[in-house]
Amino acid sequence: MSRLRYTIGRLLQAIPVLIGVVTITFLLTDAIPGDPVSIMLGPSPSAQQAAAIRAKFGLDQPLYVRYFNYLFDVIRLDLGESLYYSVPVTQKIMERLPITMLLMVSSFTFALVTAIPLGIISAKRRNKPADHISRVVALLGVSTPSFWIGLMLIIIFAFNLNVLPATSLVMPWADPSTVDGASNQIDVIITAIQHLILPTITLGTLQMAAFTRIERSSMLEVLGEEYVKLARAYGVSEGKILRKHAFRNAQLPLITIVGLQLTTALGGAVLTETVFNINGMGRLVITAIQNQDFLLVMGTTLMFGVVFVVGVIITDLSYAYVDPRVSFDGGD
Amino acid sequence: MAEPLLTVENLQTQFFTEEGVVRAVDGISFTVEEGELVGLVGESGAGKSVATSSIMRLVEEPGEVVGGTVKYRDQVIIDFEEGPDGERRPSDEMLSNKQMRDEIRGNEIAIIFQDPMEALNPVFTVGSQLKEFIEINRDVSGKEAKQIAIDMLREVGIPEPEERYDSYPHQFSGGMRQRVLIAMALSCEPSLIIADEPTTALDVTVEGQILDLVDELQDKYGTSFVWVTHDMGVVAEICDRVNVMYLGEIIEQAEVDDLFHDTKHPYTQALLKSMPRPDETVEELNPIKGVMPEAINPPPGCRFHTRCPDAREVCRRTRPVYQDVSGPEGYPHRVSCVKYESVGYEDSEPLDTEATAAFGGDIIEAQGESNE
Repeated sequence: MSRLRYTIGRLLQAIPVLIGVVTITFLLTDAIPGDPVSIMLGPSPSAQQAAAIRAKFGLDQPLYVRYFNYLFDVIRLDLGESLYYSVPVTQKIMERLPITMLLMVSSFTFALVTAIPLGIISAKRRNKPADHISRVVALLGVSTPSFWIGLMLIIIFAFNLNVLPATSLVMPWADPSTVDGASNQIDVIITAIQHLILPTITLGTLQMAAFTRIERSSMLEVLGEEYVKLARAYGVSEGKILRKHAFRNAQLPLITIVGLQLTTALGGAVLTETVFNINGMGRLVITAIQNQDFLLVMGTTLMFGVVFVVGVIITDLSYAYVDPRVSFDGGD
Repeated sequence: MAEPLLTVENLQTQFFTEEGVVRAVDGISFTVEEGELVGLVGESGAGKSVATSSIMRLVEEPGEVVGGTVKYRDQVIIDFEEGPDGERRPSDEMLSNKQMRDEIRGNEIAIIFQDPMEALNPVFTVGSQLKEFIEINRDVSGKEAKQIAIDMLREVGIPEPEERYDSYPHQFSGGMRQRVLIAMALSCEPSLIIADEPTTALDVTVEGQILDLVDELQDKYGTSFVWVTHDMGVVAEICDRVNVMYLGEIIEQAEVDDLFHDTKHPYTQALLKSMPRPDETVEELNPIKGVMPEAINPPPGCRFHTRCPDAREVCRRTRPVYQDVSGPEGYPHRVSCVKYESVGYEDSEPLDTEATAAFGGDIIEAQGESNE
């Protein structure tokens, strides 16, 4: 019961945060230099045309009126119409968001699936060869720029070996008739995975490196705890101590970092999408900024904010699930 | 006399650090008989906890048991033999790591740790932790294990044990957690429980309750105990026999009445003197002067001579022999102090030590007064 109460409380807390995100996004976008109207109308528009456009988008009104109008629009999930694409911003986001989410989920999965075993092995074999290798891998992972990793992967696997595709993504749920050489859904999924591999490694390497180090240090710390010694003193085997008594506690710092790494990964997604020519949120943001499409800029920024807030909430909730001290009353 | 339950002989555990070798336990010997409660007393750093983890073969790197024998009934926990190249190596008779896990830890020798706040895993319920250890160490089904756990929680005085079974450790107070740890040890039905300063982290009222509880349960189950503490008051209350440790060595061993009324070693005397007494009003307490030297570089001769109020020149040169000084009847009373040897202590010059020089021999004066 107290877990449910904690969950509801945490969700309610997100509301003021999201209002804050809307406010800051609105003010920052307004502060960007340049006039969207002049870009829309091209060079030397007539004063009447400009005034008409301003009136149409409500740009002739004072800042606070525009702000509240926008806020109430957002509450109704109406983000306005993109100036550049001439379609609703929400439609554009719904088109692009799944692509970026697929990339994010896939790269975080890759990072966690490799980092957790690597970190545990490092901790268990501290200062032995396995630990040194994992340390070097992590160091390289943290210090190599992701776009460079992407370019190298394209050169090696797409051009030289010609085994994996280097551009765009295919959604695993796409209609087989729209995908080249696919006759059924399984073909589509296989193609989708092939397209995902290189971008996933590109985006996931940095997270993998960071997670490995966190996993190692928190595992080492937990293995020195009294309750681990107690388990040993009661005849619990080393394997079970790792899997059960130490594992759950050791994941707490990792969960925190996973949530925070979402921001880094969103930034990385912009680069990865550019390198691999993927039409996701990252490229949408860049297009929006280059064209002073202020409603699209606000909409996409807001969406990144929402993704991050949701990520942090998931982090907090998994924390509460893993550690009873977080959600229960009367804890110390 | 029947074979002792636990025999420790010349046990040596060393820590190989960058600064050098720390001889944390340096050749200690003692026994625990069936049903006996044996105290292991000394200041912080004397090597008490290292001694207990050595017995369980739980010393962690960079520490290592390097010599001696530990026997539990007829099972050899630690033993060394000389290899063909003259190197000392673990003997073949020693239990394997797997045997230690399956046959000794938990089901024959259980342990109660010092800090109840740290010894329970925060992410599992108290009941599930108890149940797990019972299942590992006793041949019972999961359902029976749960029932044993609940019964034992009731036994150690946890109210509403059925409900508390599903609580997490942070929902218990320190005293309650220590009761849980005691329940944990008893529910595995070991013959020996090593209690490593189990009441040190608790306040005095709770300590009293826990000691009463242990006394009562020990009568009921007949379990033997090794009780590690630095508190002579606790020793007097519950122990049958006492070993006093100083800097990795046992320097005096006697039955508890003997130790208190016929104290031989100046260190034991000083320990007793340092205890606050409710029946005496004093201006200041009588601590043992100075701090214990580091075990990495122990003083020559008698290790206590740097702080000993009775130290004489001979103490610096002569390693005291650990010998029996008891009368013809009763349990042996062993002590290692040159005062009880004929090596010329009487004729030797008194030594300026931390106890005599810096503080003007407070302990000797205080001793003189109380002897009057």
